[in-house]
Amino acid sequence: MATTCCRPLVGVYEAGAPSKTRVSLPAVFRAPIRPDVVNFVHDQMAKNTRQPYAVNKDAGHQTSAESWGTGRAVARIPRVRGGGTHRSGQGAFGNMCRGGRMFAPTKIWRRWHRRVGVNQKRYAMCSAIAASSIPALVMSKGHMIQEVPEVPLVVSNKAQELTKTKEAVALLRQHHAWTDVLKVYKSQRFRAGRGKMRNRRRIQRKGPLVIYNNDQGLTRAFRNVPGVETICVDKLNLLKLAPGGHVGRFCIWTEDAFRKLDALYGTWRKEAKHKKGYNLPVSKMTNTDLSRLLKSDEIKSVIRKPNKTIVRSKVKPNPLTNYQAMLELNPFHRVEKKLAQAVEAKHIEAKKAGKPKVEKPVKKEKPRKKKAKKGVKRLRKQHPRSKSGKKDKTKAKAK
Amino acid sequence: MADSAQKAAPAAARPPKRREPKTLPDGTRKPNPYKVEKKRRLPAVPEVVLNRRRERRAHKKKSLALKLKAKADKRKLRQKYFTRAEAYIKKYRTMEKEQLRLKREAKAQGTVLVPAEARLAFVIRVRGVNQIHPKVRKVLKLLRLLQINNGVFVQLNKATLSMLRIAEPFITWGYPNLKTIKQMIYKRGHAKIDGRRVPLYSNTLIEKYLGKYGIICVEDMVHEIFTQGKNFQKVNNFMWNFKLNNPKGGWRMKTKHYVEGGDFGNREGKINALLAKMI
Repeated sequence: MATTCCRPLVGVYEAGAPSKTRVSLPAVFRAPIRPDVVNFVHDQMAKNTRQPYAVNKDAGHQTSAESWGTGRAVARIPRVRGGGTHRSGQGAFGNMCRGGRMFAPTKIWRRWHRRVGVNQKRYAMCSAIAASSIPALVMSKGHMIQEVPEVPLVVSNKAQELTKTKEAVALLRQHHAWTDVLKVYKSQRFRAGRGKMRNRRRIQRKGPLVIYNNDQGLTRAFRNVPGVETICVDKLNLLKLAPGGHVGRFCIWTEDAFRKLDALYGTWRKEAKHKKGYNLPVSKMTNTDLSRLLKSDEIKSVIRKPNKTIVRSKVKPNPLTNYQAMLELNPFHRVEKKLAQAVEAKHIEAKKAGKPKVEKPVKKEKPRKKKAKKGVKRLRKQHPRSKSGKKDKTKAKAK
Repeated sequence: MADSAQKAAPAAARPPKRREPKTLPDGTRKPNPYKVEKKRRLPAVPEVVLNRRRERRAHKKKSLALKLKAKADKRKLRQKYFTRAEAYIKKYRTMEKEQLRLKREAKAQGTVLVPAEARLAFVIRVRGVNQIHPKVRKVLKLLRLLQINNGVFVQLNKATLSMLRIAEPFITWGYPNLKTIKQMIYKRGHAKIDGRRVPLYSNTLIEKYLGKYGIICVEDMVHEIFTQGKNFQKVNNFMWNFKLNNPKGGWRMKTKHYVEGGDFGNREGKINALLAKMI
């Protein structure tokens, strides 16, 4: 909800029909809606109505039990003294023992309540009020506001003077808020669980919240209508405006209450009159339409172009076997290859044509005569062959 | 006369005022002087939509112009690659022929050509990471040989030769030829881009990072490594260390020096045969 947007006029309804008076929407309804803040503050605030619970401080310790120690074939848990009763010799004190004290006995000095900063509480309040003016949020909370003439629903001040429940019901019917109350009727049931026997037997859903300025009988008129709650605009309660920590309760404002909101919470231009030094929270972004922002010229002119190139790792083809890959790296390879192919073709042709290969000149092989050399003859004379027939090694070498 | 007679008669007797008829005597409808003529308007299109249409048209025009320019630039670039590759092949051939010429000249004179000592080596780590002497570990780290079967190009000088000597039992190295270098870079070449290992799938990568050194394609890189230009270090560092396969057919014996029938140490020109099995 932009702070800069204009504030429309909200019609005041009387007897179901729009009256002549129109009120300009108080600035609170344009406050930023922070469901996280509301949830947190609601959680904290809800803890403040808790009643402490604890076990008896003596529970489990009203015995004089002592451990029997070892050597008795029993566990070493402290056991009840004495005799003459079932209780004697039974284990005591431990959380695992029957009749023993529980683990970590609950204490009343547990921190039951929580403090929340005033500003944070007010922030949550503003968010909750703002959310109650958005039909989508109110419907998503579950309220039946399909027939309601306007959201936020502002009713004339005559509502404050109502005394009879009949009149209150008539008011709700006229403004088509009765379907929400019917839904409450339909949802009346017994609680599931132990709460039934703890005085929380029946449950029902929440109906519309009537917010008034001056109670001249209104609370008592609406008191008996199931689901409907009434609250004074001076004492708005987050637990009522955002039940369960969820924003978007269906609120019915009386005219006076509606008009008072500007004074209670301020507009961004003016401080709140009834809260010292307080002004409405400011949202982090005035324009939250992200797609619009990203398409706008102001942003587009500054950001760089989108990098849509996907770089995938390339499987390198082997240039030695892949012709195209080789050409990519070395265009001259085309010429080289052609030349090589031409040379190869020539060789193949030559082979086919049957040209005899150029033979190397063959050395004429002379028949080898077993002609001994001169030196050998001399040696043979010096060393004649033995009768054993053994060949003389030297002679063999000389040959 | 009739009017005066009417006026003279009492108010009650006067005939009731009649409204003027809406239709003219000829049957056409009488124009209402108080009616504002509505001008015929164009169909209402939100301003945002119109703005977007305008933007889109302008963007399309711009992108088309850019596309055409990119295409033209790419064409020029590919011509550059072509001419450079051609020039390099010519250069390599002349280098080879020069060597042959010197050899033949020496033979003709009856002397022997002592070829220049190799200035480029390819070093492969042959052993794993466990139980390495700290000094050796450090050397291997400096050479970027952190994993088994990792390979790097190394310029040979007194400093690096000493390093290779320290790490000798854990590496095998030799003098790669042009074919080996080419195959290595084409198949196993990856670039170090922003600390990531990126495959060399396009020359644009190379141009982006080595363009300032005049190296724009893979052939330039090969040339720089083979001929050891000014920017050898830049090119070598730009490349990630080569991760090679185990050799097809296996090692001889990693625990011995090559000359002993094993694998580690300097195997000079035989490195090319090994690399052919590992690339």
